[in-house]
Amino acid sequence: MKRRPLIVRLLSRLEGPQTLGRGWRFWAGAAIVLAAAVVYPLLTDSYTVGNTVYFFNWVFMALGLCLIWGYGGALSFGQTAFFGIAGYAYGVITLNYGADYGLTLWATLAAIAVAGLVAAILGYFLFFGRISGVFLGIVTLAVTLVLERFMAQTAGPEWHIGSARLNGFNGMNGMPNLTIPWPGEDGSLVLAPDLPLYYVVLALLVIAYLALRILVNSSFGNVLVAIRENPQRATMLGYDVRKYQLASFVIGSALAGLSGVLYTTWGQYITPSSMGITAAALPIVWVAVGGRSDLTTTLLGTILLIGGFQALTIYGSQYALVVMGALLVVTVLLAPEGLIMALALLPQRLLKRSARDAT
Amino acid sequence: MFDAIFGFLYQFGDASAFLVLCASGLAIIFGMMGVINLAHGEFIMAGAYTTVTVAKLGAPLPLAIVCGALFAGFVGILLERLVIRHLYGRPLDTIVATWGVSLIASQGTLILLGPSITDVSTPLGSVQIGALSYSVYRFVLMATAVAIIAALYLLFNFTRFGVLARATIQVPDMAEALGVNTRLIYSLTFGIGAALAGATGGLYAPTMTLVPTMGSQFITEAFVTVVTGGSDVFLGTAPAGVILGFIRSVMTTWEGQLAGQIGLLIAVIIVIRVLPRGVSGLILRERA
Amino acid sequence: MRRLLLLSAAMAALALPMTAKAAEPIKLGVLEDQSGDFALATIGKVHGIQLAADEINKAGGIAGRPLELVIYDTQSDNTRFQEFMRRVLQKDKVDAVFAGFSSASREAYRPIVDQLNGFAFYNNQYEGGVCDAHMIVTGAVPEQQFSTLIPWMMEKFGKKVYTIAADYNFGQISAEWVRNIVKQNGGEMVGEEFIPLGVSQFASTIQNIQKAKPDILITLLVGTAQASYYEQAAAANLHIPMGSSVNVGQAYEHKRFKPPSLANMYVTTNWIEEVDDQKSKDFVAKWHKMFPNEPYINQEAENSYLAVYLYKEMVERAKGSTKRDDLRKIVDQGDLCVDAPEGKVCIDPKSQHMSHTIYLAKVNDDHSISFPKVWQDIKPYWLGEAGCDLTKKNPNAQYTPSNPPPKG
Repeated sequence: MKRRPLIVRLLSRLEGPQTLGRGWRFWAGAAIVLAAAVVYPLLTDSYTVGNTVYFFNWVFMALGLCLIWGYGGALSFGQTAFFGIAGYAYGVITLNYGADYGLTLWATLAAIAVAGLVAAILGYFLFFGRISGVFLGIVTLAVTLVLERFMAQTAGPEWHIGSARLNGFNGMNGMPNLTIPWPGEDGSLVLAPDLPLYYVVLALLVIAYLALRILVNSSFGNVLVAIRENPQRATMLGYDVRKYQLASFVIGSALAGLSGVLYTTWGQYITPSSMGITAAALPIVWVAVGGRSDLTTTLLGTILLIGGFQALTIYGSQYALVVMGALLVVTVLLAPEGLIMALALLPQRLLKRSARDAT
Repeated sequence: MFDAIFGFLYQFGDASAFLVLCASGLAIIFGMMGVINLAHGEFIMAGAYTTVTVAKLGAPLPLAIVCGALFAGFVGILLERLVIRHLYGRPLDTIVATWGVSLIASQGTLILLGPSITDVSTPLGSVQIGALSYSVYRFVLMATAVAIIAALYLLFNFTRFGVLARATIQVPDMAEALGVNTRLIYSLTFGIGAALAGATGGLYAPTMTLVPTMGSQFITEAFVTVVTGGSDVFLGTAPAGVILGFIRSVMTTWEGQLAGQIGLLIAVIIVIRVLPRGVSGLILRERA
Repeated sequence: MRRLLLLSAAMAALALPMTAKAAEPIKLGVLEDQSGDFALATIGKVHGIQLAADEINKAGGIAGRPLELVIYDTQSDNTRFQEFMRRVLQKDKVDAVFAGFSSASREAYRPIVDQLNGFAFYNNQYEGGVCDAHMIVTGAVPEQQFSTLIPWMMEKFGKKVYTIAADYNFGQISAEWVRNIVKQNGGEMVGEEFIPLGVSQFASTIQNIQKAKPDILITLLVGTAQASYYEQAAAANLHIPMGSSVNVGQAYEHKRFKPPSLANMYVTTNWIEEVDDQKSKDFVAKWHKMFPNEPYINQEAENSYLAVYLYKEMVERAKGSTKRDDLRKIVDQGDLCVDAPEGKVCIDPKSQHMSHTIYLAKVNDDHSISFPKVWQDIKPYWLGEAGCDLTKKNPNAQYTPSNPPPKG
């Protein structure tokens, strides 16, 4: 029997048992949302565009955590560690070598690769040592805090890589924005937080989301979920649990690294506080409240939460944090699978209830 | 020579006492009940604030600390009834819920009581041992840490309540079938954990700044100690506190406070890697 | 009749833009931490700005225009500074921003101010070295505080100095300044210890200090956790004379800890609530009338208050223009000064930093404050001497003594 071409096989994986949303209705809705996202920035001011890019930057980290935790069942407090590693790596490379010849793009790839490499080493240490559950969370938290404490004291002039000073707690700034090289008179396109950067990040987001959908609906994703549900059964069925966990950890951490690079180029700044305990807990909160066992709910939930928290801070003055806390408690009590997930399942539940009442 | 050795022993005792006291309340709530309580720091803060307020009204410090513990315990029971009881068996959901509670508590305290409150002095003065002088109160803290662990051990192993609590937590259905009021037991156990955190806050209150965010100075140490200790509170938390305290004081004496902090965290990573079920896992396995 | 109508119409037309311009407010963005770890030291800053704005508006505004404040709570979080600096410059379109407490937050928002061509005031003491034309710094810098404190203390107490400092940029650079000035005055550093932020247990530090037996202990502790040192050291009977540039004046430890934990402490600050000349007393009185529950008016609060008047002076001298280049021309003239509660203060055109009156505050046994000495008009000389000259060049950078501006 002839195998279907790769592209058809891949596209067929866009829907599957591990992700919400299937059928033409879902994809039509998604297309409408995407179209709105494309048109919206042309209608608003520069601030809103830059601010929306800022929200998008964090989503990659949330998607990565969704993969590691929601699908793989491994609670990792380490996303912000890889966020920071990639951010600093980008800063070091571009401060040393500048932004010409598309170097910022290579630096981005290199920074993500560095984060991925560190994740591979750490993941090997963790998963091949059979560490799981809450122990995994604590070890990844400890790694994040070690990095933060160490980087915070690198303020002296002896702490530098090439001509890039690490600059400790005050953070590293002055690195260039992402720059797309262009030959000729016009010169390169510097992606300051405005329309061009918005479209680049939006494109990256769409690619990451679709790629992750394909990944989790493939056999890799199925095994990952099996491991989450019952690791011993997966082992007995012949799968090497550790390899799958390591792979998902590396991919998820690389996504966190991408977030780190995008944040660093957006604000031209990276600081050890990005790896502190408060920062480490935030991705967990976003993913948990959005709905960790599905990519779409994580995506929507993260954007809504970050935007919501920002709006609360602007308009709520000192009550903002209290309201945020209350929101989290209420969400967990009323919608434990996540707010967006609950909303998504609401029509199903209502239909079921009305069907039950009817009989 | 004597000064150096005694000085080191003092630091070792001080660091271990801090870790054990931080971890004691959390060991009950997390170790025994499986609730990842990110609001642990706020229980400590509640105990500290109450202790200082009562002490400033004229009460002697030990009474004030007891008041702090009781208040924190009461708040703990309230929290358990309203929020936590719906989340047993769902440890990862407890993270979000308690994180929310922590935000409400610390920000609420800032709004209601302002950015700080004035302290009370450390009691009992100082004592000269060898060439250096030491605060007597720190020795009291060390003794209290030992006493608390001993009291917990006696409570949970030799009293009726203790046996019921352990039974309820290990096999709740069976306990309920035997007629135990499991809801009450859960509330009380959580309350004891919160009260211990409050006691820690009260004990350290005379030595520290009192701000609404003071819990953050305890929470990392508390979590790493409890997790390194593993699932059994008595076999695990106390030895973990001592081991980590030892490593921290060695690193601090050798290279300074930063090395102490980083050394502590790296020790946690290594211990968990070598003993994936924590220290108590090792001890239980040795026994079996 | 027609001519009268035309004339009155013409007059109305002429008058209209003028009245419209007179009503158009000058917007001042305020990005300060009103919650989180730093709120203790920064809530007063917002109040200072509000008090100044209120007074200025009652007196007719700046060049006839009312002053409007756009305040955001940055929650002691660097990312909030980035978000809101962008918002305040692009969306609210303010004319100037008063922002930042920690140096990390300043370094987080400085690239955005540079990129969006904004104008920001940093009203906080810090480690010095920011050479950026988009920034006016009204806070005190190490050379102002240490060149006065250290020689005075060494003359009084002895030559052996021990430093404990917070282990990050501010602490490390301040400690470097202390080291240099101690050496210049013939003293000896018998020890230096750097303590990570957030550490609150000091058993080892206290022992090390006792072993080194210094004459003077310089404490550069930052954050509420590190302030616990004072209580723990007093409990261990450690009573060496202490000097600091940052404690007492910023987080009012002498009010929060019971006596005598901070006794025998000497702090150089550009102003604190206890300054007892008539001008300061009047200032404190009117502050308490507007904010009766203020726990303490610290030096950062006074800086923020005077910064608003400084801005007013700048804009009025520039004939009402709020464009940064016009205002910088006024600064470059070199004599932009303001009568602040601390005394007369002026902006140095080369570095855009401020000269200060430096008060030496002594904490007595009962935690009351006396002022053994006052230095007038101490200039922020280091940046200009090291080679930063904003009248000629704008490097948008921060320098340190071991990383000075490049020569030439």
